Amino acid sequence: MKGVIFNILEELVEQRCGMQTWNSILSKLNNDGIYTAGKSYPDEDLMALVNAVSAKLEMPDSEVIGLFGEYMFSQLADRYPIFIEQEHTLRGFLKSVDEVIHVEVRKLYEHPNLPSFNCIDTDDQTLLMEYRSPRQLCILAEGLIRGAAQHYKTTITLEHPRCMHKGHDHCDLIVRFQS
Amino acid sequence: MNQDTAYQEAYRREKNARREAEQLLEDKSRELFKLNNELLDTNNRLKEQQSLMLRNEKLATLGTLSAGIAHEINNPLAFVLSNMESLRRYITSYDALLNLNRQWQKQEKLPPSHSSELQTLLDEQDLVFIQEDTEELLTDTEEGLMRLRDIVQNLRHFSHSQESERVKADIAAGLNSTLKILQSELNDSVALNCMIDPLPLIECNLGELNQVFLNLLINARQALEHNQNPQIFISATSENDSIIIRIKDNGTGMDEQVCKKVFDPFFTTKPVGQGTGMGLSIVYGIIKDHKGTINVNSALGKGTCFEIRLPIVSTS
Repeated sequence: MKGVIFNILEELVEQRCGMQTWNSILSKLNNDGIYTAGKSYPDEDLMALVNAVSAKLEMPDSEVIGLFGEYMFSQLADRYPIFIEQEHTLRGFLKSVDEVIHVEVRKLYEHPNLPSFNCIDTDDQTLLMEYRSPRQLCILAEGLIRGAAQHYKTTITLEHPRCMHKGHDHCDLIVRFQS
Repeated sequence: MNQDTAYQEAYRREKNARREAEQLLEDKSRELFKLNNELLDTNNRLKEQQSLMLRNEKLATLGTLSAGIAHEINNPLAFVLSNMESLRRYITSYDALLNLNRQWQKQEKLPPSHSSELQTLLDEQDLVFIQEDTEELLTDTEEGLMRLRDIVQNLRHFSHSQESERVKADIAAGLNSTLKILQSELNDSVALNCMIDPLPLIECNLGELNQVFLNLLINARQALEHNQNPQIFISATSENDSIIIRIKDNGTGMDEQVCKKVFDPFFTTKPVGQGTGMGLSIVYGIIKDHKGTINVNSALGKGTCFEIRLPIVSTS
């Protein structure tokens, strides 16, 4: 997982609960907390941090991950505006995500655990995104999609009928655009 | 401003500075990555072009050589064949003479001294055996000459030194008729998957192109002999100004070294005596003659795909 994701989590915690909380989470995990945006860090580190945050906030992991996804989108958009500028609609942006992830991760590392999004235009109002990743972070993906929808000021509903956590080989994220 | 606020401000400044540095790194590495990918692609394309160019040059040289050899062999071959015809006629005359002599001898029409002299000559020269053996020698020689004639013919096909008649024809129909010829042979052993689109008519020699399809299909079938799930995929489609025909099998495949030589005349992977090594050379010659291209893609154990591209615009 790229360092920028850790940076954004840190910012979220700092904003909502203050610097002291983040420091105490790090010291409890015996984590020095040094994350630089482009470098890759172990997934387990992120999951441990998320667990600690949800314990602190007394919220379930999945809820924290979902919220984090929404927040993460706005932060990523702020840091890497180029990807948002290239696409003028939410649908166009969602369809570009797969390619962007591949370049952004692989430009520095040959990464074996890359997630993939296979997008299918079911109809004018619906986009099916098939999510595959050994990390099974579909809830984060959901949060990111919601964040993207807010950014593009587009109202959507999101369904998640197939899920890797329910034993399927991939997740189906169905995005319905409200006209 | 108290100390804490000052530190907080400094912290924010540092954080922003770091972000800028990180962004620079990310942007630059993205640029580098993309440029590197472009370079890799270009390099691969160049390598492919280079090996294609080498192959074409080699085949052009072999074509000139084959045309020369075919021409040089063809002249003596023509008079040897014609002489053989005369020789057979002459021998028949000699046979008649010998048979008459022996008939007279048997019917005791000859004076005894002549008969015994004749017998001595027959025995000394082994003429009865010679008469029998000559027939066999002539037949073998003629067979050898026919083979030579075929080889010369094949070499001329490869070097496309023959002018062939061109008429507007439907390649899809040609492909289908070739498939029909092979149907009984293929259907028993191989699963055929055909996707043959209607194609525009092009000026071509359909007989020659059918030979191309036949040669490629026979090769595909041979590559599938020891396959559990043998399949041949045939597709024909038109795209812009070309007709594209692909004949693909999931057979034994070839390594890079074999792929490089596959169109060379007399190159064969079959045991001595089982293949002439001319099949794909002829295919290459015919396609070249039609101003088309043929390429092969193959991987050991996975299969082989031949792709033919023929221009739709008339070749004249």
